[in-house]
Amino acid sequence: MEWLSSTILKTFWRPTVNTIRTRYHADKTRLVRRYGYEEKIWSGGLMPRSEGRRLPIPEYRPLNPWTQRRALFGQNDYIDILGSGELHPIKTLYTVPSWIKGVSGHEYHILLRKKKMFARTGAPTIRPTKWKEYEKRLSFLYRKLNRKTKTGPSPC
Amino acid sequence: MGSRQITEKSLAMLRSLPRLSLGNIRDNPGSRKNIKRGRGQHGGDKHGAGNKGSGQRQNYMRLGYETGNNPFYLRMPHEHYYKGHHHRRQYPPISLLEIQKLIDTNRLDITKPIDIASIVRSGLYNFFPDQKHFGIHLTDEGMDIFSAKVNIEVQWASEQVIAAIEKNGGVITTAYYDPHSLILLKNPKSFFQTGQAIPRRMIPPPDVIEYYTSAEMRGYLADPEKISEERLRLSQKYGYQLPILESDKNYNMLCERKDPRQIFYGLEPGWVINLRDKCILKPKDEELLQFYAS
Amino acid sequence: MSFSLINAIRKLNISTVSQIRLISSGSTDVSNINSHSNSDLNVTQKEWKFPPQFTKPREVWIENLDSIDEKKLGLFELHPLVYAVLPRIDIIHRNVIWQRKFRWVSWAHTKTRAEVHGGGRKPWPQKGLGRARHGSIRSPLWRGGGIVHGPRSGKTHFFMLPFHLRIHGLTSTLSAKFAQDDLHVVRNLELPTEDPEYLAELIEKRNWGPSVLIVDDNDYAPRNITVATENLPHVNIIPFYGLNVYSMLKHDTLIITQTAAERIEEKILQHLHSNTMPQQAKFKLNQV
Repeated sequence: MEWLSSTILKTFWRPTVNTIRTRYHADKTRLVRRYGYEEKIWSGGLMPRSEGRRLPIPEYRPLNPWTQRRALFGQNDYIDILGSGELHPIKTLYTVPSWIKGVSGHEYHILLRKKKMFARTGAPTIRPTKWKEYEKRLSFLYRKLNRKTKTGPSPC
Repeated sequence: MGSRQITEKSLAMLRSLPRLSLGNIRDNPGSRKNIKRGRGQHGGDKHGAGNKGSGQRQNYMRLGYETGNNPFYLRMPHEHYYKGHHHRRQYPPISLLEIQKLIDTNRLDITKPIDIASIVRSGLYNFFPDQKHFGIHLTDEGMDIFSAKVNIEVQWASEQVIAAIEKNGGVITTAYYDPHSLILLKNPKSFFQTGQAIPRRMIPPPDVIEYYTSAEMRGYLADPEKISEERLRLSQKYGYQLPILESDKNYNMLCERKDPRQIFYGLEPGWVINLRDKCILKPKDEELLQFYAS
Repeated sequence: MSFSLINAIRKLNISTVSQIRLISSGSTDVSNINSHSNSDLNVTQKEWKFPPQFTKPREVWIENLDSIDEKKLGLFELHPLVYAVLPRIDIIHRNVIWQRKFRWVSWAHTKTRAEVHGGGRKPWPQKGLGRARHGSIRSPLWRGGGIVHGPRSGKTHFFMLPFHLRIHGLTSTLSAKFAQDDLHVVRNLELPTEDPEYLAELIEKRNWGPSVLIVDDNDYAPRNITVATENLPHVNIIPFYGLNVYSMLKHDTLIITQTAAERIEEKILQHLHSNTMPQQAKFKLNQV
């Protein structure tokens, strides 16, 4: 009986079978390597132009490395070795102002020295505004260095 | 400098290399650290003040302060061990070993009397008259191997040192110089360039008068008779044969002494040294002569 | 030494190689040189104040300037402590850096908010306007305001390179120039004409680089050469005490007169053999 009913069921009802294909692997985009170079420079013709007069292209003026100053750069730098021994090379720096010749240090030290050397000249009366600015800057730097920074080997 | 082979090899290499110019020289790799630019003044660090707390806020109390209590270092009475140390005379030492080394390397000329000027000129001894340095203390290191016959003048010496020098037939004198004379002796050239007359040497202060007049210490103000007695006594004490000075062929050199008022050998007080014209100007005025006479 | 000389001779294509007998300072027979055909060749025994100890002196031809074709006027000895030391490129580099830096003062300047004109008044009230709060129109946030951490005028880059590093820089550069055949010794600077083309042609013919540094032993060079170099900007004359690392490297070839070579050698050897404590001491401003 059982056998019969199952045969009848099989003859009258057949389940529809749909074959399903998952497209997971087919839809995977492959990793593309060495696809070439993406041009970052505009290559689509002329750039959009601005209206009106164009700016002039600056004239190319190459530097002359053999002007007198450049050709003889460094002359007398070894005068204490090769000379008579009485002249120091920084004494031959004629173009550098005397208050800064051979000086090295923080802005505060240099300004202090400048003010000290200018005090003997007429600078305080001739350029009072500049003089006031030196003093203002010095007092600012004094407060900053002494109250807000640690004393260290190089406070700059 | 490198060995000779290395030098030759590198010079030979240079022959086949491009010409050395401003464009193809460089420092040794790794000799300079590339400094990264950070934000702010010190690249965003703490400006050396550490992290958090009193250190960073820079409000440490001063050392020893006890928030109003009478501090410990003031509460306890104590004896100041170094009291007045900065007022006392100092004699930077040089040893007999070093003197021997200077002589062996031809930095000191023993055919002439040696004083502080010639020792400073050797370049291996330095002192600072403005820092209460009053000259040379000759120490006894290397006295067993000291073998030079010298006429030396120092500012301080001990008995063994005197014995070590006299054993070799040499002569030692201890002499006082005031700070100004020492400045002159340290750098005579810069003084001569000022064009001033050579001053007199000052007499020693009261507390060292005794040292510089004692024959035991071979003081420059001591009686020469007593000094020769002491030389003999010292040789007997240390047990060496005292060489006879009079029979020495350098007798004149060994007998040479400075006047108590004299600073440089061969130059008297009151003279002006003209370095440009290379001549010496001597005073003739009676008053000046009287002033500079010792 | 002899190897490099033979190389040099090969390079110069001299036909009289077999006739000239090269002597070093060690040998004594100077006389047999004169018996050969090249009798005008001048070889003198040098009196050394500081004799070279472990290396032989370098020999160099003395050349002429009075004709375009090169003539050998004699042999000359150079001290190996000056002209044949280990060429330390790093020391040369440090010398160049020093030469550039020790004179360099940067004058770039910016004003801080305190120095820019004006800005003392509060631009608008703190509250009630719905605007950002501001205290000064010269604040660094404002256009036309002060600059924070800007360059301040008179910044120096000054330092002194140690004395012996500078000496080593000179000797290294001289040695490198000499090893690369860029250093030539001439008897004197006498030229037959004051025509710059003559000098230019001479330099071209002898394959000296376009730029030439001529080192004389005093301030006053002969008239002809000063006129000739006047219009040749890349040919320069300096006295021997003006010699420096930068110029030697900037110019391709170095022409040194015989006396200048001796003076340079003498000065450097003197420093190498004497007490240089004062020069080695730390640089102080009041010392100069």
